[in-house]
Amino acid sequence: MAERKQWKWADDPSLNKMEFTKLEKDGLDVIETIVNTYSKEGFQSIESSDMDRFKWAGVYQQRPKDGHFMMRVRIPGGILNSEQARVLAKIAEDYGRDLVDVTTRQAVQFHWLTVESLADIFDRLASVGLSSFEACGDCPRQIMGNPLAGIDPHEVLDTRPLVAELEKFFLMNREFSNLPRKYKISISANVHNAAHAQINDLAFTPAKKTIAGEEVIGFHVWVGGGLSAKPHLAKKLDVFCRPEEVIKVAEGVTTLFRDFGYRQKRTHARLKFLVADWGAEKFKDELINLVGELETQGEDLLKGWNGGYFYGIHEQQQAGLYYAGLSVPVGRMNAGELVELAHLADEYGDGTIGTCNTQNVLIRNIPQDKVAAFQAEPLIVNRFKLTPNTFVGYAVSCTGTEYCNLAIVETKERMRSLALYLDDTVTLDTPLRIHMIGCPNSCGQRQIADIGLQGALVKTSAGMVEAFDIHVGGTLEEAQFNRKLNARITVDKLGPFLAQLITLYKEDRSEGEQYWRYVERVGLEKIQSQVDSILQTA
Amino acid sequence: MTGEQTESYLYKLEAVLEEGRLLTVVVLAQSDERAFSTAENNILRHTVAPAKIKELSLVEKKPVGRQGVGYVIETSHFG
Ligand code: HEM
Ligand code: SF4
Repeated sequence: MAERKQWKWADDPSLNKMEFTKLEKDGLDVIETIVNTYSKEGFQSIESSDMDRFKWAGVYQQRPKDGHFMMRVRIPGGILNSEQARVLAKIAEDYGRDLVDVTTRQAVQFHWLTVESLADIFDRLASVGLSSFEACGDCPRQIMGNPLAGIDPHEVLDTRPLVAELEKFFLMNREFSNLPRKYKISISANVHNAAHAQINDLAFTPAKKTIAGEEVIGFHVWVGGGLSAKPHLAKKLDVFCRPEEVIKVAEGVTTLFRDFGYRQKRTHARLKFLVADWGAEKFKDELINLVGELETQGEDLLKGWNGGYFYGIHEQQQAGLYYAGLSVPVGRMNAGELVELAHLADEYGDGTIGTCNTQNVLIRNIPQDKVAAFQAEPLIVNRFKLTPNTFVGYAVSCTGTEYCNLAIVETKERMRSLALYLDDTVTLDTPLRIHMIGCPNSCGQRQIADIGLQGALVKTSAGMVEAFDIHVGGTLEEAQFNRKLNARITVDKLGPFLAQLITLYKEDRSEGEQYWRYVERVGLEKIQSQVDSILQTA
Repeated sequence: MTGEQTESYLYKLEAVLEEGRLLTVVVLAQSDERAFSTAENNILRHTVAPAKIKELSLVEKKPVGRQGVGYVIETSHFG
């Protein structure tokens, strides 16, 4: 076990219980215990305080709590190679009941793992430079990025080296393994905000500034975003950050969070609470105190938001090369499909695969003369489509009761079938993003959806029936969270209800007007009256 | 349905009464079904003339494994 840190908050008696657990033994130390003890002695041998620490190893008990775990694997910036993909697929096949989920922060998730398998899985991941460590827990998580970095015609610089440096700096860094709460970083130089800056704790977005007569491409810095039950949009600091200053700024912000973040209440610990209390101005001053002078803001290069979607075949920066954005319905695939994807990445592309925060994937660097054959591949024609139908293509879902202990309702399979139903029932030529979540924690990022569905259970004469609350008008374009309507729709009526609601929008909108823009224009009251009229005739 | 659940949860439920009032009810229970019946019992106990519940729904559960689990309830309007 590594030497114990003398944290400055260690003597504070008002710390929450989890803080004492972390002080007793660092989260990262559990990895050694898993490898040396628990993976040999089994589930029953796990001490309860260590069960909390399992998150630092990237594992989390799944429902039912009968000895199975979910594991999240970091895919830094959402780019992996085919060899890594094959190792992931084999882990799913050998230990994870053949299930691979792509998450809303570009990680990969397994289910059904036993503690006995963990040491071997850690080894297999390490053999290809992957890790599940610190994918959960109070530490810097998976670094979100632009899965098109390096090839993106809409990026102002290649962020791959920066993602790699950030990953190297933070992963297993014991200076930052005991933060007040989870901590999420995003970095992207895509002008369409590919990495959802405003809902991360720390985000870097593209910017430029003329400094001493020279035009410098760099970043603006956002802090304090996050969803969950109390969503907040990040605040932009009045700083301009050169690419070579990214690590320094990230270290500074993370140090402020570590040393000044709140540790009394876990529900009031994320960076957003510190930012809300200090305000962006004071936060910037404290950051500069720590890291030294920074340039003030330059010109913002963000132009809208692509939602994290990249469907179809598109030209790259590199002439003659193309990338292919593919749809993975609600992010779920099996090991065989991932192996096939790796094969296609090798066969047609440069062997790299992108994971998107929309739970989708993409393949990079396909030469023009191979595009047609790629498009004809059975996996692409039948499963991971280039041009998915509107609703299947823009559906996102959390895990739900299938594996999640906090879930009120089933989500993933339900969202999949709901999207199929809507595609059969309504024809729509613009994307309409529907996100489904099983509880207020919002893993499926309900708040940023055009239509956000949040589960509840309703008691009826026939027993408990699953239902959903409807939220409308979320976007990160002119960032705003969606708002709740007065409607709790039971699942038997959900499909027809949404079909009618969407049809009313379709008939009333101006050409090409997206749903969130429509909601913005006509107002929430009008949408509520649409809902009321649908419910009256139902 | 469950039977699997051994943990206790602090449940948050919402009851819409016939007369239009909305009640938020918080109960401790070991399963979703129990949460419903416990909530109904609590509503009965809380009201003199038996409340006519138009709709009762369960909206959130939090494991009571850790100290300090609770809810903040907005009472002014739906949402
Ligand atoms: C066993 C299953 C899971 C459990 C118990 C779980 C638990 C949670 C909890 C408690 C939160 C809110 C924490 C907070 O912000 O204070 C949360 C947020 C989140 N989780 Fe999960 N989760 C699970 C599965 C997943 C999956 C499958 C995904 C990805 C598809 C995911 C991605 C996220 C994301 C993106 C957030 C949003 C947090 C934010 O931006 O502030 N989780 N999860
Ligand atoms: S949103 Fe809730 S139900 Fe869905 S995976 Fe997250 S914690 Fe579970």
